[in-house]
Parts: sequence; structure tokens; C-alpha cells
Amino acid sequence: MSTPIKNGLRSGAISSIIVIFITIINFLQVISGMLGKLLGSDTTGMIPIINLIIILFIIGFFSGLSSAKEREPDTWRAALLSGLYTGLFAGVILFVFSLVIGAVAAKGIDLRSYLSFFAPQTIQQYMFNLEVIDLELAALVPGVVLTGAVYHLALQVAATVIGSIFVRGFVRGEWRKNLMISLSQSTMVTTGGSGLKQFLNNRYTKYGFFIILFVLLIVLPRVWGSYWNYIMGTVGIYVLLGLGLNIIVGLSGQLVLGYVAFFAIGAYSFALLTAPVPHNLLWNFWPAVGAAIFLAAVAGLLLGLPILNLRGDYLAIVTLGFGEIIRNLIRSDLLTPLTLGPRGVREIAQPTLFGNPFSSDIDFMYLIIVAVLILIYITYRIQNSRTGRAWLSIKDDETVARASGVNVYKYKLLALSLGAAFAGLGGAIFASRNLFTGPEDHILMVSINVLCLIIVGGMGSIPGVILGAFALKGIPEMLRDFEIYRMLAFGALLVVMMIVRPEGLWPTGRPKLEKYKGEDEPELQTLDNPSESEGA
Amino acid sequence: MSTILETRNLSKFFGGLIAVNSVDLSVPEQAIASIIGPNGAGKTTLFNCTSGFYTPEKGEVLFQDTPIQGQSTDTIATLGIARTYQNIRLFSNMTAIENIIVGQHPRLRTSWFDAVIISKRFRNEESSVIEEGRRLLKYVGLEGLGDHLARNLPYGAQRRLEIARALANQPKLLLLDEPTAGMNPNETEEMTKFIKRLRDDLGITILLIEHDMHVVMDISDQITVLDYGTKIAEGAPKEIQSNPKVIEAYLGPGAAVLSEKYRRKK
Amino acid sequence: MNQNNKTSKKVRVSPVITRSIRIVVGIIVLAWMVWRFYNVIFVTAEYGADTWVRFAFSGLIIGGMYALIAVGYTLVYGILFMINFAHGEVMVIGAFGGYFVFELLNAITVTAADGTEMAFINAQPVLALFLAFLAGMSISAVSGFFLEKIAYRPLRTAPRLVPLISAIGASIFLQNALQLLFGPQRRDYINPEILTRGTGWTIQIAGKPVLLTYTGVFSLALSIILMVALALVVQKTKMGKAMRSVAQDKPTSALMGIGVDNIISQTFVLSGVLAGAAGVMWGIHNGLINYYTGFLPGIKAFTAAVLGGIGNIPGAMVGGMVLGIVESIGPAALAIDFQLKDVIAFSILVLVLIFRPQGILGEALSEEKL
Repeated sequence: MSTPIKNGLRSGAISSIIVIFITIINFLQVISGMLGKLLGSDTTGMIPIINLIIILFIIGFFSGLSSAKEREPDTWRAALLSGLYTGLFAGVILFVFSLVIGAVAAKGIDLRSYLSFFAPQTIQQYMFNLEVIDLELAALVPGVVLTGAVYHLALQVAATVIGSIFVRGFVRGEWRKNLMISLSQSTMVTTGGSGLKQFLNNRYTKYGFFIILFVLLIVLPRVWGSYWNYIMGTVGIYVLLGLGLNIIVGLSGQLVLGYVAFFAIGAYSFALLTAPVPHNLLWNFWPAVGAAIFLAAVAGLLLGLPILNLRGDYLAIVTLGFGEIIRNLIRSDLLTPLTLGPRGVREIAQPTLFGNPFSSDIDFMYLIIVAVLILIYITYRIQNSRTGRAWLSIKDDETVARASGVNVYKYKLLALSLGAAFAGLGGAIFASRNLFTGPEDHILMVSINVLCLIIVGGMGSIPGVILGAFALKGIPEMLRDFEIYRMLAFGALLVVMMIVRPEGLWPTGRPKLEKYKGEDEPELQTLDNPSESEGA
Repeated sequence: MSTILETRNLSKFFGGLIAVNSVDLSVPEQAIASIIGPNGAGKTTLFNCTSGFYTPEKGEVLFQDTPIQGQSTDTIATLGIARTYQNIRLFSNMTAIENIIVGQHPRLRTSWFDAVIISKRFRNEESSVIEEGRRLLKYVGLEGLGDHLARNLPYGAQRRLEIARALANQPKLLLLDEPTAGMNPNETEEMTKFIKRLRDDLGITILLIEHDMHVVMDISDQITVLDYGTKIAEGAPKEIQSNPKVIEAYLGPGAAVLSEKYRRKK
Repeated sequence: MNQNNKTSKKVRVSPVITRSIRIVVGIIVLAWMVWRFYNVIFVTAEYGADTWVRFAFSGLIIGGMYALIAVGYTLVYGILFMINFAHGEVMVIGAFGGYFVFELLNAITVTAADGTEMAFINAQPVLALFLAFLAGMSISAVSGFFLEKIAYRPLRTAPRLVPLISAIGASIFLQNALQLLFGPQRRDYINPEILTRGTGWTIQIAGKPVLLTYTGVFSLALSIILMVALALVVQKTKMGKAMRSVAQDKPTSALMGIGVDNIISQTFVLSGVLAGAAGVMWGIHNGLINYYTGFLPGIKAFTAAVLGGIGNIPGAMVGGMVLGIVESIGPAALAIDFQLKDVIAFSILVLVLIFRPQGILGEALSEEKL
């Protein structure tokens, strides 16, 4: 099989499967609904059709693009052929698909008993809103359904051909190279080569940036309303958790999959100490937070003791087990007298500042911001200290670290304890803000979310953690319309990120300590330097 | 001169395999001692037993007359033994100078709390470790390369960095595992001179595993020969060179006689 | 020269301390377990022999399914050193495959020789079962194949955490894709009539009746057959040998002319086949499936694989069976609420790993070289 055919087959198959998939899950309808809201008109009529055409066109376009790119066509004819094969293949598949579902819809069969989101309306819209539903089958196939199927075929072919010609024209063409060269030249001229970098590193730029940030942090919570305070507050709590897990995983290299256990201990300690039911201890906010942090840290220590010499994946599973054990225990009948079981704990204490209540959503936002700043400071200071370096050496090569004099067990326990303490703080604030906490707040998914956010953001890097929290918690919250597709996109995003940018969105570097001020490119010097002596 | 390192009847088994067989080794203070032998003779295993990586099944290891067999490697590091590795094992994701600073770890005192509150102890220690790092970089000829990630350094630089990291511990005994592996004659000569300086200027006792006989014969005060885990000879370079057992271990049975013939002919 | 033994003024955590803590904890836990068990058996005698047999039986059944899934994990781990987090989803995809085949065969009616009409599924139950398993195992195999190709192959050389995150992402994606395609509701498996859930042979144990369900016996038997078949494949066939060699040493295997990529794909296909079988079995025996059904068995099966010694195929089988039995008998034997059976499963895992980190049968992977 020659290459353009093979490429065409592959691209066409992939793109048609994607189209079929998103149709079945009703994605097209949701998008057109959102567009309708945006444009203020209703969702029947032309909008779904246009939406359909555009999306399918885009898919076809990129399909043609990628199949042609594989081949790197030098002639228009080659590009055309690539596109044609792709389009034909995808088109034929969709043609058949259209016939099948058209016929099914026409017969009045509702597929939703099997494919839950595949409503007849969806099929109708897929068939360009031609009158598909509830017609006589015999009259139908030569007529409407066929028309719809043909439209799809044509659309695919057109889109892919255009895509592949685009490849030939733009990507391969001379004028693209010229454009890129002039673009880069212009940036060099305006910023003087590394001017942009200099600008960013300038001391005053940094000060300015922080001042602006500071002002924003004070002003925004007052201004943007409770909805945003709630979302950003959640992001902030996840930043706390991320910083904690970052110490454990990103700095000391221990893969812990049960981090939510510490979060739960923090939340539940706080809740049980302050709520009237079941224990009626009614502690104040601040001492309870302190206790939560302390208990979580102790838990980190205890959890760490038996697992210190477990290797990577074993460690992961054992900690996952711990997380599940703790959640199941909290929920169980056995411990219900202590934890109130599945019902969760209500009426948890609210923060007070110098005796006055400090519990509005704005206040909580400030509280979270302060907590985040404190933990960032702590992390930052430890990162570039003896402890931080010891952690990194353990992460890199535990055996050699130990042989270099690092007391590995002690530092691992320290990392676990400290990381757990961060989670304890996060848990306490979380519980207080929600005025409630229950076992469903402490599921495995939370651990996974935190792990993903530090890796997607950039492991071991503070700005990475913040970015990760925004990306994986903030953005989905903002895209509420796409609620049902949220997790699907999350999963896909993780895979894509790991393939495309595994070091994370904002990876970290190590500090420059030597700061050699000699010539530009130092070279290896000889080992014979009798002038150098070394005192004992 | 007192003995700084001694093994008595040291044996290490791996299942049914006898890797080290009742080896008695004695290294005088401030000597440069070499361990040689064909591949698989148990040299690195012996190293690993003396530095705490393995616990021997039988026998003792004495460092400055104190038994250290079975202790953990970090304890042994604090006692003053440092080593390098056959396959370079640096902390690849840290910079060169950071590698050296980690080498200083056992001699430092600050805790995480010091770091957070930026105590005086912290500030003093941080500047002194960086200073020491710079000094060691210069000493091994890596000045200016300190801020490169260890994994980005060329091979020769990495070897030197490993030594610098070991020196950062201010050890009394330095174990070098094939320090000239992969080096050309010039580099080898440099390294040989450097090792001598370590002993002459700093008074460090050196125990080395080497395959390059020029190096071994050149700088060793004492050579121990292992074959199949057993010590078959020990002594000054001249004695070892003409020792028939050693020749046969390397070249096969009958080679000793041949070699004698060659020497007579000359 | 300064000799510094005071690394810090805090407690030095030496291996001696951790080892003694472990021993103490181990003795306490063991003693408690023995005491509880003694109580249950001799003092309160809450359960008769018939109940124990019932527990053991259901433990074996689910243990067999865990074993099949666990072997899949261990095969992948042995060859790629990664945890295939999405393996539970591969299992449930197979379950869905079997489900749809049964639905289809239930809807087709055939006329028997005596003129009665019955659904195909009941007219030809053996064929129906065969087709269902074929469908389930094939779909799972294909899923495994594409899973590796898309989410894992590009990450072959990346550090350990990266493929793990990709696997988590793939797992989430597949779960949600299944939810979006087939909906969140649980679907009821239609078995052929001869395998109706809840029917079976009744035997007498200690004077009381114990039901050995047809579905249970079927699942257990099939699990054993598949495990034996797998063992034969891995030991005797060329593909099995190639897999073992690639697991041991990839570059050398490549130099020997083994197509490493192909072998890895085949490994995923094989593990998918087993998971698919387990999925269909699950549907037949337990009846209800939905997109989430693979999650918990997936995690438990992985813990079973670790329990048996990761990378060790017989270990995975043993681990799976042990986990199944412990899960079933554990709560009763220790007089603990049945609600806590997951706690018991995970606790056993934690305990085993603490005291025997290499698992029950030991890991089959090479040691770290110095």
C-alpha cells in the first residue's frame, strides 16, 4: 500500500471516529446550545447546521493537513492526492454512518436505551436538519437520508483537500519561510535580541510585577463577587495541597497516592473539634486549625515510619491504600460515634479576627491568600537550603545520597510530615469554608487531582503548582457549561500534556550558586594546579 | 604508621556465589593502596563491603580500629569515608556546585526551621558552603562550570565532580572505583598526579580499584590482587609485577613461566 | 580535621528503630487477628461451617477475576515498569462488549425444531457464551492495543512519573467516554437461561444447604483455564519467550532481532484479553455494570499483583486469589463489619508490603546494580 493511501487511511479513520464519537456524546448539540446563548438566538434553525458544518470542516481540515504533512508534498498534485484519499476514506465512513443512523431514526427507534446521549434530535441535526425523523423507511433511503449522507461525504472531501493544499501552500511554500524570518527579525529589532529576557529579569520589572500582584490580591476579592471568590478560593486551597504534595513528590521524590488522607485528617480534626455535634468541644477557629495541622503532621510521621524503605510503585500503592482505609473508616458504622459516618460533620467554626467574625466569602478569600503566601514562603526558603538539597539528592539517587551522608529516613519523614501539615491546613480551611465536611470530600480523586496539578504545572516548581491549580481546577470551574465533558477533557489533557510537555507548564531550574564572573564559556582546567592548596 | 582500614576474614555471598572469600586487607594511614584483579574478581564487592553498601556474611571491617561492618552508609560517611562509583552516579538534576554542597551535608548543621526563619546560623552556613563549593570546583579544575546541571557536563568533568563531591566530606579515607575509566593517556596522567596530590597535600588515605596498570604501578604504595574473590597476592608494585600467581590470574595458567622466559631473554 | 557525628540534635532515625517498630507493630496486629479469629470460631461460634464454605466459595470466584486482571497489570509492569492505571477500564470495556452481544442475541429469535420460538441466546447458550466472550476479549484486546499506542508508546523513555500520569489521564478519559456513550445507569446483564444468576447446585455442609451458583462455578473454572493457558503461553510459546526476554533486557532483546515494539503491543493485547474475560465474567456473575465498574476491581487487582510480587506472573495469580478470599472471609473471621471489607483488603496489602516488601512470591525484577 503506498504511503499516501496509508496516510489517508489512518487520518481518515481517526477523524471519522472522532466525528462519530462526538456526535454520539451529543457534543455538537452542547456547543450549538452555547453558541445560541452567546449569540442570543434560539437553538433551532440555522445555528446547529452552521455549527455542524464548521466543526466537521475543522476536523476534516486538520485531518487533511496531517495526512499531507506526513508526506511532505512537493507538488500540488501530491498534496491533492493525500487530501483526496483522506477525505474519501473519512467521507465513506461517515456516509455509511449517516445512512445507518438515518435509517434508524427514520424507523423511530430511539437509541437512547443503549447510547444515552444520542437523542433523535441529535441525529436530525447531524443530518443537516433535513426532515429525517418519522418518515416512511421505504420512501426514505433514496431520498433524505441519502442526501444527508452525501452531504457528509462531500464535506469531508472538501475539507481534507483544502487542508492538504494548505499544507502544500503555506507550510511548504517559500513565502512562509520569509514570513517567519521577518517576524523573528522584527522582534529582535524592537527588543534588542535578548531584550525581552533582560526586561523580564530587570529588578524593577520584578518589583513592579509584585506590587501589581499585591494590589490585585487585595482588591479583587472585594470586587469580583462571591462566585469568583468561591472558585478562586478552591483554587487557592488546591495550591496549598499542591505545595504540600510538591514537597513529598516533587522535592523528596516519594510517590504518594493517598495524599487525601492528610487532607481528611485536617478537615475532620478541625470539624470534630469545633462542631457541636458529636463532641461539643466547640474550640475556637485558630486553635482548631493549629490542632488540625499538628495532627496531620503526626499522621504524616506515623504513615511514613513503616514505608520508608518501600520502592516507588509499592509506596504509591500502599499510600493509596492508606487513603482509602482512612476514608472507609471515617464512613464506617464502626467509627460513626467519632466521625458521624456518611452524614458528615456540620456547623463547623468560622474564622474570627481579634474576636470579630471573619467569615464572609471575601474574608475567606483573604484567609486563603494569606495561607498560600505563607506556605509559598516556607517552601521557597526550604527549597534552596540544606534540607531542600538533601531532598533533591534523595529523589535523584537515594543510595548515593545516603552514602554521601544524608540521613535518608529522617529527611523522608520530614518531607511527609511537612507535606501532611500543609494538607492539614488546607483541610481545615476547606471544612470551615463549607461549614461541613463528609467522607465524599475525601475520595481518591482528590489525591489524583493534586498529583496531576503538580505534574502538569511543573514538578518542584512553585509557580508551576499555582499554574497547575489554575489549569486543572480553575478553568474547569469556569467552563460549567461543558460540565459533562469536563472530566473527559481532563483525562485527555493529562495524556496530551505528558506527551507534549512532560516537564510541566512552568518547569523549574536550579539556582545559580557559583555565579562565576569570569569569561563567557569557562572550560575544563587542568588538574595540575600546584598553586592551589586546601586546608584541613 | 597505623592502619586506617582493615578487613579481617571478610566474606560476602550472593546466594551460592562466593563474591569475596575470606579477604584480609590492611591499609596503612596515608597510603595509596590499589585493589586489582581480573573482571569479576570481587573488587567492587569488596569496596561495597567496606563502605557499608553490603553487609558481609562473615568477617569484620575496621576503620580506625572500630568495627563498621553492617552500619549504614550515612553513618560511615560521617566517620570520614567517601567514595566514587564505577558508573558515575552524580545527582544529575542538580547543578555541579550543588552536588558538592550535598557532599558537605554530614558536616553541616542547619535544619529546615533555620531556613524558614533565616537564622544567623543559616546565613553563615549557606555562604560558607557556597564558598567551599567554589573552592572545590577550582581544586578539581571545574571553576566556572558550577551552575551547569550535572548531567550536562562532559564525561571528564563528571568524573572530577564526583571526586569533588567526595572531597567535600573532608574524608580521611577516599575510595575511588576506576577513576581513570574511559580516559585518554593525557587525562589519565593528570588524574594520576591529582590522586597523588590528594594524599601528599591533604593526607587522605586512598584506596583504589584500577585496571590501568600504569596508574597502579606508578602511584601505589601497596597493591592487593584479587581473583575469584580470594586475595592471591599483596605487596609493593615491584613484587606484584613479577608475582607468578598474579600473572597467571590475568593471562592464564602457564603464563608465568612464559613471562619468566621473556624476561630472561631480555 | 573535624569529626562531626552530630548531624542534628534531633532523633536520628536509624534502620534499627524502624525495624523494631515494625516488629512490634507486626506482633500486635498478628495477636489481635488471632484473638479475634479465635473468638469467632470457638467462643461465639457465630458462623457454621456452611457459612464459611459460602464465603470461601465467593472468595474464590472473585479471586479468580482479580487474578486475571492482576496478571494483566503484572505483565505490563514487568515489561514497561509502569502501572497501567487504565487497565480497570479495559476490563469494563470487555464487560460492555459481552453485554451488547448478549442483548443482541437475546433480541434475535429462532424457531426450534418443535415450533417454539426462543431467543437465540437461550437456543444456543454455549455459542452465545462463546460469542460474548469472544467479543469482550477482542474489544478489550483492541482497547489495550490502542491504549498503549496512543498514551504510552510516546513516553517510553520518559521518567517514571510521566507515563503514570498519562495512564491516569487515559483511565479518566475512558471512564468518562464510557459514561458519555452508554450513560451512567447500571445495566443488567442478560445471561443465557442456563446460567441464570442465583441458580446452582445445592450441597449440604454440616447439615445446612450451600448454593454453588452456576455462574460462580463457571467463572471460577474459566479463570483457572485462562490462567493455565496464560502460563503455557508465557512459558512455552515463542511470543512468551520474547516477552520474558524483553522484560529482562530491552536493548539486548532488540539486538537479538526481537521487535520490541511489537512485543510490547502483544503484551498489552494479552493483558487486555484476560481483562476482557474477567469483565464478561463479572457481568455474568454480578449482573450490573456501568462505566465505573472497572475502577475498584482495577485498584484491588493491582494491589493483588503487588501483593504477589510485582512482575511475577504466578505471584499475580496467587495474589488475586488470596485477595479475593481475604476479602470474603476476612470480615467474618475477624468479626468486623462487612462494610469494612475494603479496609481489610487494603490493610492486608499494607501489612504484607511492610513486612515483605517484595510481595508473597517475590518480585521477578532485577536488583539495583551498584
